Amino acid sequence: MTALRPFLLVSLFAFLLPLTPARAADEHAQHAPKAMKKRIELGSAAVFAPDGTLLTVSKQDEHVVLQRSADQGATWSEPLKVNAQPEAISADGENRPKIALASDGGILVSWTQPLGKPYSGAIRLARSDDGSSFAPPLTVHRDTAEITHRFETLQTLPDNRVLVAWIDKRDLEAAKGKGNYRGAAIYSALSTDGGRSFLPERKVADHSCECCRIASALDTDGALLLLWRHVYAPNERDHALARLKADGSADSVQRATYDHWRIDACPHHGPSLVVDAQGVRHAVWFNVKDGEGRVFYGRLPSGNESRVDGQRSIGGPRAAHADLALNDDQLAIVWSEFDGEKTRLDALVSRDNGRNFEPLSLASTEGAADQPRLIQHRQKLYAFWRTEKEGFRLIPLP
Amino acid sequence: MIRPLLMLCAALLAAPVSASDLTALDRSTARQLMADASQGQPTIVALWSVECTHCKKNLQLFSTLARQHKNLRLISIAAEPEGSEHARILDRHAMPAARYAYGSDAPEAVAYAIDPNWSGELPRSYLFDGKGGKQKHSGVLSRQQVEQETGLAPRR
Repeated sequence: MTALRPFLLVSLFAFLLPLTPARAADEHAQHAPKAMKKRIELGSAAVFAPDGTLLTVSKQDEHVVLQRSADQGATWSEPLKVNAQPEAISADGENRPKIALASDGGILVSWTQPLGKPYSGAIRLARSDDGSSFAPPLTVHRDTAEITHRFETLQTLPDNRVLVAWIDKRDLEAAKGKGNYRGAAIYSALSTDGGRSFLPERKVADHSCECCRIASALDTDGALLLLWRHVYAPNERDHALARLKADGSADSVQRATYDHWRIDACPHHGPSLVVDAQGVRHAVWFNVKDGEGRVFYGRLPSGNESRVDGQRSIGGPRAAHADLALNDDQLAIVWSEFDGEKTRLDALVSRDNGRNFEPLSLASTEGAADQPRLIQHRQKLYAFWRTEKEGFRLIPLP
Repeated sequence: MIRPLLMLCAALLAAPVSASDLTALDRSTARQLMADASQGQPTIVALWSVECTHCKKNLQLFSTLARQHKNLRLISIAAEPEGSEHARILDRHAMPAARYAYGSDAPEAVAYAIDPNWSGELPRSYLFDGKGGKQKHSGVLSRQQVEQETGLAPRR
């Protein structure tokens, strides 16, 4: 044991610092390993335009920027600022900027703008009609309180409608001093003009978990489904699934998973959802079940059933942040998994509606990695993965 | 000569914990920290983050316990790179000076070095009784549980 033990070091510094003149302290600051070093926030999103151009959004300082690739990610355009005026932007894994195309072709970009107070934020959205510049961003909710409106999901719908849903703490704030309000709430706001303006927001459900991404998908009849981590009494962090009416309010809310993870904690690990042509809802999510934290795949109950069909764990014990997508009869799941040396990007592909899966190894990185996403273009699925060392990566699935 | 030194010591003891800097962890220092934490005395390693609401409850409990039990060693690790708010939050909860945060190493690798079986949920706590006993927990803990598992109070 020759190396100085880290906490011994800290105690030493804590003792020495007040004795040291300012200059020496400055020198120390230059040489000591400082946690202050700013890490790039890797949270990003991508979508294919109809002409095959790949569009990504990510954070650069106080701007969300849009970049284009005409060659499937080999080369990228100069970044285009989405918000011309700088503002604070969240871009970690669960709370990253999003991009979607409205049915009139407009490019929509959403993000969470952290405000001054802890946990506070505003849901922002900017629209570009022609892709060359963006209109000034708007806040999609009417509530101006400096509280949590964060972790938005952005979903474009037929007829130029757009729905944004997010985690909102106005009900928690209102309940303060009046008893215990579990978790936060899900709110949504609907646009009927391609994201140029939004109708007043509506509450979808009380008692969501506080800091996991929300998944969205379209049901077979075009209704929007939302899937999120919920807090069932007293503190079971299972998932809830809502079907929305055309106006964005909840048509039904039902329990979607039954892992019974009872905990007061922040998993930072949200689900993903797709619906197949028969209306079966396929999902991936993270939970601790029987004492073991795992990523799961399963087919969610519809109607009054209270069981998940075909639930199985995905990858190994460190599998994380899975996404899934459907292309005709091909159901694909991607996730990242640290193997002790590097982070791997792995996939499972099923041709029989999730009964059997074939494993695939797609990529790996030795540095930090964003959550992977599956995106689609011309009947083909691609994994989109941003890694600190390699940048934006687009990996076609076979 | 002795008198000023004594005064200095007294001033140091009275000074609030304001080690504003968190020490950056990479995978090897994280592994070493966890190995060392298991040795010698009752120890808590508390993983937390600025955004984690539930973490603050544990920080408050742990710091209260550390004041009451002088042989309890309390080490905090922010599971993210240090930002402007970390030291302020730790100060508010009177957390002692053994303060760490993730450094520039890949966060996946630092997390793995701390505990290969941890999925990133916060708060995450490691309780060592100093005699080889180690318990790990996710979520908010009770005082009774922490005192028992660190050996500060007899097990029932």
